[in-house]
Amino acid sequence: MPAPKRTVTTEPSFAEFAATRDPRLRESLVEAHLGLAHQLARRFANRGESHEDLVQVASVALIHAVDRFDPDRGFEFSTFATRTILGELKRHFRDKGWAVRAPRRIQELYLELGAATDALAQELGHPPTVPELAARTGASEEAVLEAMEAGQAYRATSIDAPDRREGTIASRLGQIDAGFDRADNHQMLGAALAQLPEREQQILRLRYVDGLTQSQIAERIGVSQMHVSRLLTASIARLRESFAET
Amino acid sequence: MSVHVSPDTSDSDATDRGTQVPVPHVELVLSVEDDLLVLARLTVSAVASRAGFDVEEIEDLRLAVDELCLLVLRGRRTGRLVLAMAIEPGRIDIWCRYDGTEDPRDAGAEDESDLSQRILDALVDEHGPAMLDGRTGAHLCKQRALADD
Repeated sequence: MPAPKRTVTTEPSFAEFAATRDPRLRESLVEAHLGLAHQLARRFANRGESHEDLVQVASVALIHAVDRFDPDRGFEFSTFATRTILGELKRHFRDKGWAVRAPRRIQELYLELGAATDALAQELGHPPTVPELAARTGASEEAVLEAMEAGQAYRATSIDAPDRREGTIASRLGQIDAGFDRADNHQMLGAALAQLPEREQQILRLRYVDGLTQSQIAERIGVSQMHVSRLLTASIARLRESFAET
Repeated sequence: MSVHVSPDTSDSDATDRGTQVPVPHVELVLSVEDDLLVLARLTVSAVASRAGFDVEEIEDLRLAVDELCLLVLRGRRTGRLVLAMAIEPGRIDIWCRYDGTEDPRDAGAEDESDLSQRILDALVDEHGPAMLDGRTGAHLCKQRALADD
């Protein structure tokens, strides 16, 4: 499915949205930049994640970027959105499980680094440096760098992927740990999406993953474009509520 | 592939302006192969770590150096990539140029270049065309965010 064409945003729209928080304006801003989300998702292709999943992560990040963008700060929205989307995509890979062609010691160290990074960030109040991570994990700085690099080569997670802390990721499910404080949007999104009626899930997928216009969706599922618009607005509002409750 | 590390005592941008301590230079020459870009990322990561960058910033730099190489290569698949790095405390400069005879491939290059520029806008403090060894290439600079402590 081709990505939607990127269109240029006009700053007045963001200024208007900042002032009104109009959901329709918000949707049009998201729509205008969906192409950027698709493009950035493609940059992370061939790393073991499906394109659809990556587009979903990027699209949610785009929605957050639209919500958080402050036009008065003098940045281009595209720069702000790119940073937000890249951050989410990186987190998506970082927090995903492991099934990569790397030596087991590197896999294990990478898992250990994830926990150490979270813990040190809380203790220090800023992301740790490589020497700090090396000191915490007992690994050499070279090994830390190697594991970080290997972390870019993710493949789909296995629930039985190795987890040094608790044996397997499966055995850790249900526990409260520091990682939950920064649970992924895509994970929350998955849970929130599951709560939506099937048709709304389908419409969201068609709109934000497949990049169809509202009119195309309307034609495909046999309802009016206005109805699609209302369903999208309502679905996103429900997702936002779910996120807020999480 | 070759790697060259040497202290540079010139009074150029590569010298620590505050203390006049020679700043290490790293030069990396790679054949143009996807698999070798990992070496560029690893080297940049190691050099950035020496400059005190944290892991988030190093992740940014890894993505950025990929984009810098893409911008320079413009679809070329033969020849060599030359990367040079210089650090000061809290700052890294990276230059990249193509060394070869293949012409750039223009198909889709404009969109890709636009996206690379956009990604670099988001990840680093400065970037743009630059000269390296008398040949046109690209440069980026990233500085550490102000420390909280």
